[in-house]
Amino acid sequence: MKITFNRIFLMRLIAIVVVLLFAMVLFFIGKQHTVLLDNKTITVNGEEIKALKMVEVQVNKLEALEFVPRDRDKVEVTRQKHTITISYTDENWEEISITRKFTLPLMEEMVIISIPTLAANPDAPQSVWLEKYELPTYAVQAAPEDEVVVTDDLAGLISL
Amino acid sequence: MTLQRTNLQKVKRFLGNNTVTILFLVICAFGIPLSGYSANYLVSEVVVRIARNSFLIVSLLIPILAGMGLNFGMTLGAMAGQIGLVFISDWGIVGIPGIVLAMIISTPISVALGIWCGKILNMAKGREMVTSYIIGFFMNGIYQLVVLYGMGAIIPIRSNSLVLPRGYGIRNTVNLIGIRKSLDNLLMIRLFGIPIPLFTLVVIALLCIFILWFKKTKLGQDMRAVGQDMEVARAAGIKVEHTRIVSIVISTVFAGYGMIIYLQNIGTLNTYNSHMQIGMFSVAALLVGGATVSQAKIRNVFLGVILFHIMFIVSPMAGKNLIGQAQLGEYFRVFVSYGVITVSLVLYEIRKKHDRGIAGQILAQEQGVEA
Amino acid sequence: MNVKVEKIISTIMQGVKSFGLPRIIIGLFLLLLFIAAPFVGVNIGTSLSDTFNRFGMNAVMVLAMVPMIHSGCGLNFGLPLGIIAGLLGGTLSMQFNFTGPASFMMAIVFATPFAVILGWGYGQLLNKVKGGEMMIATYVGFSSVAFMCIMWLLLPYSNPTMVWGYAGKGLRTTISTEGYYLHVLNDFLSIQVTDHLVIPTGMFLFFGLLALMVWAFLHTKTGTAMTAVGSNRTFARASGIHVDNIRTLSVVMSTWLGALGILVYQQSFGFIQLYMGPFYMALPAVSAILIGGASVNKATIMNVIVGTFLFQGILTMTPSVMNSMINTDMSEVIRIIVSNGMILYALTRKTEATR
Repeated sequence: MKITFNRIFLMRLIAIVVVLLFAMVLFFIGKQHTVLLDNKTITVNGEEIKALKMVEVQVNKLEALEFVPRDRDKVEVTRQKHTITISYTDENWEEISITRKFTLPLMEEMVIISIPTLAANPDAPQSVWLEKYELPTYAVQAAPEDEVVVTDDLAGLISL
Repeated sequence: MTLQRTNLQKVKRFLGNNTVTILFLVICAFGIPLSGYSANYLVSEVVVRIARNSFLIVSLLIPILAGMGLNFGMTLGAMAGQIGLVFISDWGIVGIPGIVLAMIISTPISVALGIWCGKILNMAKGREMVTSYIIGFFMNGIYQLVVLYGMGAIIPIRSNSLVLPRGYGIRNTVNLIGIRKSLDNLLMIRLFGIPIPLFTLVVIALLCIFILWFKKTKLGQDMRAVGQDMEVARAAGIKVEHTRIVSIVISTVFAGYGMIIYLQNIGTLNTYNSHMQIGMFSVAALLVGGATVSQAKIRNVFLGVILFHIMFIVSPMAGKNLIGQAQLGEYFRVFVSYGVITVSLVLYEIRKKHDRGIAGQILAQEQGVEA
Repeated sequence: MNVKVEKIISTIMQGVKSFGLPRIIIGLFLLLLFIAAPFVGVNIGTSLSDTFNRFGMNAVMVLAMVPMIHSGCGLNFGLPLGIIAGLLGGTLSMQFNFTGPASFMMAIVFATPFAVILGWGYGQLLNKVKGGEMMIATYVGFSSVAFMCIMWLLLPYSNPTMVWGYAGKGLRTTISTEGYYLHVLNDFLSIQVTDHLVIPTGMFLFFGLLALMVWAFLHTKTGTAMTAVGSNRTFARASGIHVDNIRTLSVVMSTWLGALGILVYQQSFGFIQLYMGPFYMALPAVSAILIGGASVNKATIMNVIVGTFLFQGILTMTPSVMNSMINTDMSEVIRIIVSNGMILYALTRKTEATR
């Protein structure tokens, strides 16, 4: 095929570029991330941060989740920018509500947010309380047995 | 001798033209009471299947317009759609963006396969159907080569839940949980207790409008001309080969989108089976709706989906209630699917010959008048 | 000097052309496999033995393509219809408890009327759809297989080796031919060359007999009439040949050969495969004869022999050699690509498309 730089070619090129850009946008807004929310006493830099007695967490506009110590739950979100709101009552019986925005790395499938750390340092950068999470190896390699691939042309006939 | 048809002949002609549809009406009329399903259940099942399958079937219309018969090569589009779905599952793109992205990925693959398929069909004029049928089989081999040996080895796939334990190749089933029913549930309304996936139906309606509009465009008219007589069209300055390729490309691309819509409703992708029978079922449904190899309208699609799938839903249960074996009903519907295609093809060939005979008579009469 | 070289090259090209490029490629591929086999630890004797065996198993079904191609009915994608006649013959012979070689003879006897009746009807149908035979043949095959699925469930077979144990009725999906006609041809006069290499003489003889019959038939008056019908229908009609009858005869022959073909296949394979078993059996047979150099409207016995040997050779050799070389079994994929690619090649050749 001979390429001539006329108007039609240009229009086609632009169309292709637009579609590609659109595809990239879709990738950004459609990528699913799992955010684990964890309310557990943890030690950061030798400093122990106690779990919160009772805390309500809301990510974006999703349903609020309640946590007691050692609770862990997850929410599934798309896009990269999110807000998290945690509300709890501290030792002085004061209602505290913290709202933070956070950005997820694009290619991260799963991150974990430590709620006590976030409550203790509400203004710290997000890397303090949000880190990536990898499934423990026993969960990943649960099924080592070889799967037999069935390429049966007729299987679709009976079930549909 | 006059060529005016009497009323009896007209009735005969009508029955002859709609044999398959009438046959199906009879089967359904017997099957529905035998199965014992409630009307509500049947209607909701049929609605689901209209939303699931119509897009795929509509993709068959354009090649029929261009005189290339039933495009069994739509399997190629289905494969392209599945490859798109494998990628978005691997990347973890969910919801509507996932579906749209899968469609975007499938498009260049469909276009390339469509061009290739169209070129081959141009080399096999007069036997497009059997050739497109074999093309489907042939590409299934290539598809397996790519998906079973290429993916994970040459084409990077990151997700462990997709790749076989041996390290390359996609598993038998891919869970499409991320996009499952996301198109259907976008705008789900209930009418008399029957859930209706309105958004999917709107998408299908848009496609139908596109087809209707397309038939009126210059390209659509060209295709009709090519479909009626290739040599006349060529003499009129239409690029016959190019037009035929375009019709196959459009069909393949739509088949890819249709497959994605179909699979988002099903929710799991059977990597090595899902695409194989899709062509056959779509073709059978279209023919049940009263379409022929040379003529198909939008209404044939919907009538076909409804009748064909009623038969499909009721036959296992009817078989069980009648003979005591559900398997019998399953075999019965396979038989009916293939039988329908056979009968339609035979009737088409016979009618073609018959019409040629009438044309000959007319010609003879005219010459007789001149003489 | 230069002219001479050019002449030689052009002669070679002519030879290649007449022999068919795909056939040469496939032949060289098979040769390569046989050369590579000993180096990767595959026993040549076993391979050859397997190839011979599979050749014998499939050759008759490939032969079933010949009459229909000759009469211009195209490739017999409706082979499953013949297979069904064979299945009926085989199961009936077992139902009436014939054992040993007698069961094979009786299977042929029982299969024949079915083959004739089905073939006759099929032939009548194909006469009505001249020009569109191949597509309709495909679907006649498919729908008859699906119809027989229902029949296998309903027909009143009662031999306990054949029906489902718990229900006492309905045939099983696979039935062992052991005790009936298992290996009756394989073992007939078979020659043990080495430990691994066995030549199944009986199967070759049976195929040879049928091939001879077909060859002889094609040289009778009716046979030449058939070829005439195939090469030019209008001319044949003008010269007083009853075209439709000849075509029907060819279809009956093809169907009957298909029935015998599946019986030969079963006696070697050891099992009768019912239900969806015969569904795609036409495709390997079709591609085998095409690999052998036949086209949509021309086929000889030689095409059958060469094609079956090449095709089955590749099917036997690829899995074993590939498996020992790269530790993956790609043979299934290669089979799909080669066989369907071959059919596509035949369907798209310009010279035949103008028929």
